[in-house]
Amino acid sequence: MTSSSGALLREPSFRINRYRRFCMVLTVFLLFISLLGLMLSWLSPIHAPLRPGLDFTGGTLIQVERICSPACKSFSTEELRKDLPSGAVVQSLDSGKAISVRTAALSPAESGAVVESLDRLLGPIQASGTQINTIGPLLGSQLLRSSLLALIVSFAGIAIYISLRYARLYAAMALMCLTHDVILTTGLFAWLGLLAGVEVDSLFVVALLTIAGYSVNDTVVIFDRIREQQQVLPNLSVEDQVDRAVAGTLKRSFYTITSTILPIIALILFGGESLYWFAVALLVGVLIGGWSSIGLIPPLLPLLGGKLPNRVSANTAELQA
Amino acid sequence: MTKSQGWLALILALAIGSVLVLRSLPLSLGLDLRGGTQLTLLIKPAGTIKKIEPTKLEAVKDVLERRVNGLGVSEATVTTSGDDRIVVQLPGVQDPRRAAEVLGTTAMLEFRAQKPGTEQEMTGLMRLKRLLEAKIDQLTGTGKAASVQDDSLKDLLKTLDIKISAEASELDQLKAILLDTNRRIVSLFEPPAFTGTHLIDAGRQQQQNSQAWEVTLRFDRVGGDEFAALTKSIAGTNRLLGIMLDGRSISEASVGPQFATAGITGGAASITGQFSAEQARDLEVQLRGGALPLPVEIVENRSVGPTLGAENVRNSLIAAILGIVLVGIFMVVIYRLPGFVAVLALCLYALFNLAVYALIPVTLTLPGIAGFILSVGMAVDANILIFERTKEELQDGNSLFRSVDVGFSRAFSSIFDGHITTLISCAALAWLGTGLVRGFAVTLAVGVLLSLFTALTCSRTLLRLVLSYPALRRPEFFLGSPSQP
Repeated sequence: MTSSSGALLREPSFRINRYRRFCMVLTVFLLFISLLGLMLSWLSPIHAPLRPGLDFTGGTLIQVERICSPACKSFSTEELRKDLPSGAVVQSLDSGKAISVRTAALSPAESGAVVESLDRLLGPIQASGTQINTIGPLLGSQLLRSSLLALIVSFAGIAIYISLRYARLYAAMALMCLTHDVILTTGLFAWLGLLAGVEVDSLFVVALLTIAGYSVNDTVVIFDRIREQQQVLPNLSVEDQVDRAVAGTLKRSFYTITSTILPIIALILFGGESLYWFAVALLVGVLIGGWSSIGLIPPLLPLLGGKLPNRVSANTAELQA
Repeated sequence: MTKSQGWLALILALAIGSVLVLRSLPLSLGLDLRGGTQLTLLIKPAGTIKKIEPTKLEAVKDVLERRVNGLGVSEATVTTSGDDRIVVQLPGVQDPRRAAEVLGTTAMLEFRAQKPGTEQEMTGLMRLKRLLEAKIDQLTGTGKAASVQDDSLKDLLKTLDIKISAEASELDQLKAILLDTNRRIVSLFEPPAFTGTHLIDAGRQQQQNSQAWEVTLRFDRVGGDEFAALTKSIAGTNRLLGIMLDGRSISEASVGPQFATAGITGGAASITGQFSAEQARDLEVQLRGGALPLPVEIVENRSVGPTLGAENVRNSLIAAILGIVLVGIFMVVIYRLPGFVAVLALCLYALFNLAVYALIPVTLTLPGIAGFILSVGMAVDANILIFERTKEELQDGNSLFRSVDVGFSRAFSSIFDGHITTLISCAALAWLGTGLVRGFAVTLAVGVLLSLFTALTCSRTLLRLVLSYPALRRPEFFLGSPSQP
């Protein structure tokens, strides 16, 4: 090792393990709230842990923009329903300037007919502002299957990578951390689905996978620090090692989380309607990922590990060369 | 220093190259950004085929490609997705009804002779069919409103033993009877003598003295011979030649006695159904493209109007610029001089990213842009790890040069690990994903790979360049925050 080790030798200004009890209580509490949300959602008429969107249930969503000059014609939803396919749900958006209609999956010919009757009943509508999304029911169940599969595969991939680069204990920890992040994020969206009618679509799955890939970052930084410390100060207790590692990386973790959420906030503010909940899921996931790498894993390490695996792999040295 | 100068030259060359690439190759925008329709067609197993082989998938794709070309939509694309799906993108098309009609039907053309001894039944059914069609036209108000004698229809229904119940609406019942009538007409024909596979071309023309159009066919040699033999066998009899499309009779014609010796030769024929100009054109496109080897079903339809697309572009552009600006301000406030260098590297990063999108090419979709925006935040993460490390070394009393060098080399392993885990997730996403999801995975993966390069090479080289000016070689430019232990 060529580097000086002054920074590693310094007494940590902050010891995470002093707050172990608080961290654990908070974690259990958050997990409880999340699981409660998922369960309540299952017991509610939604009958699923999350309120599934069009991508999962299949169906057709048609959105039209009305030309409102000088003012939008008023209309009655009852009248409208007569001319639409049975079971259609009509929603007025943007104070009546846009109308969305959701039905079972329609063929392109049938969706075209719906747009025409909307034009006739609410018209004129802006032809270039029309949006049609149809997902066949078959596709929806396929998406659910492949989403779960992708989540499992990426978890396994990350766990294998970490066990190769560090040790099996760290891999198990990272896996726990990922599961925790996913449960908390889905839990929040279960509550949002229950209370605000927020639906999850395929972009939510994308957000979960992205969170999984990203949230390990901060955890890895701490693992890396522990590994480095062990070479300089091999005789410290596990608790001391962990405290030092957290204290030494706290600021950079805080900064990297900030730098990642700044663009996400820009996306929430200006990304438009279709990316709004996706960006919210990312924001929440990154924050939860940050918390779990500081408040979940480090206090657990001394309890589980007894002794930290002291493995200085050759490839690390190579990488640093 | 020569090594560093080499890097600097490389970075400059890449920057200039990127600008040139972006000037000559336009970025391709997805349909959610430019407006248009995307149809996903699922190939369905039929008959003995239980699993869709790759060769069949390609065969279906070829047919669909020819049909899409026939539709005349510019820049339309046809791609396979997964084992059994084909994605058709039609930029600028807002109402996908016609495209769905043309692409979604199998278009299997069959030529059949009428069974002997069924002439009388056929005459009755044909009359019923015409009366039903006229009546339905009248009821729906689409026809020429020629009044139909209800009595003759009723008589005919009675003689053919078809009952009308009073329960369902008249229109629905008539439609059901028409469907049944068509089925019965088809059943009066023998198995196909030959099929549309022997077609080499199709065209259309307006019939003389009529509003209606006909579709003309040209056969290859085998098809010509088969057609001659078929027409010869029924020439001069009262039996009809039936042309079926997907099991539905679209034309029934008698063959005159003058063809009894040789049949209709010359390898050409025409279908004189009562086609409108549009129907004739669509059938021509389908026949020219050939029949689909397997039936397809449209399982996904996404249509976005052009103004919505433009709005999406505007929104995501604002979000991207704001994201970069916010991150830039953050970096300069926290890290001063190195932060400024990181912002320069970030700009290079954005430039390289766009150039790679144009080169691969990556079709930019809304989630794709979100992936790019997110990767901006992740790209500076690497710089933060490095600069924090550099600060630590400086606080330990090391020289500036040494601190910077150690900062870069020591931060590398955790940067590398963090990037790999994100890439693993991207790979899972790309593997799972279709369309939109894959768009996000690709841009995020490109971003993560490029950020490894820019954070480690560009920032480092630029920082060294900055350090070569003695005036800037002051630790307080690097330590930034004044509260140091």
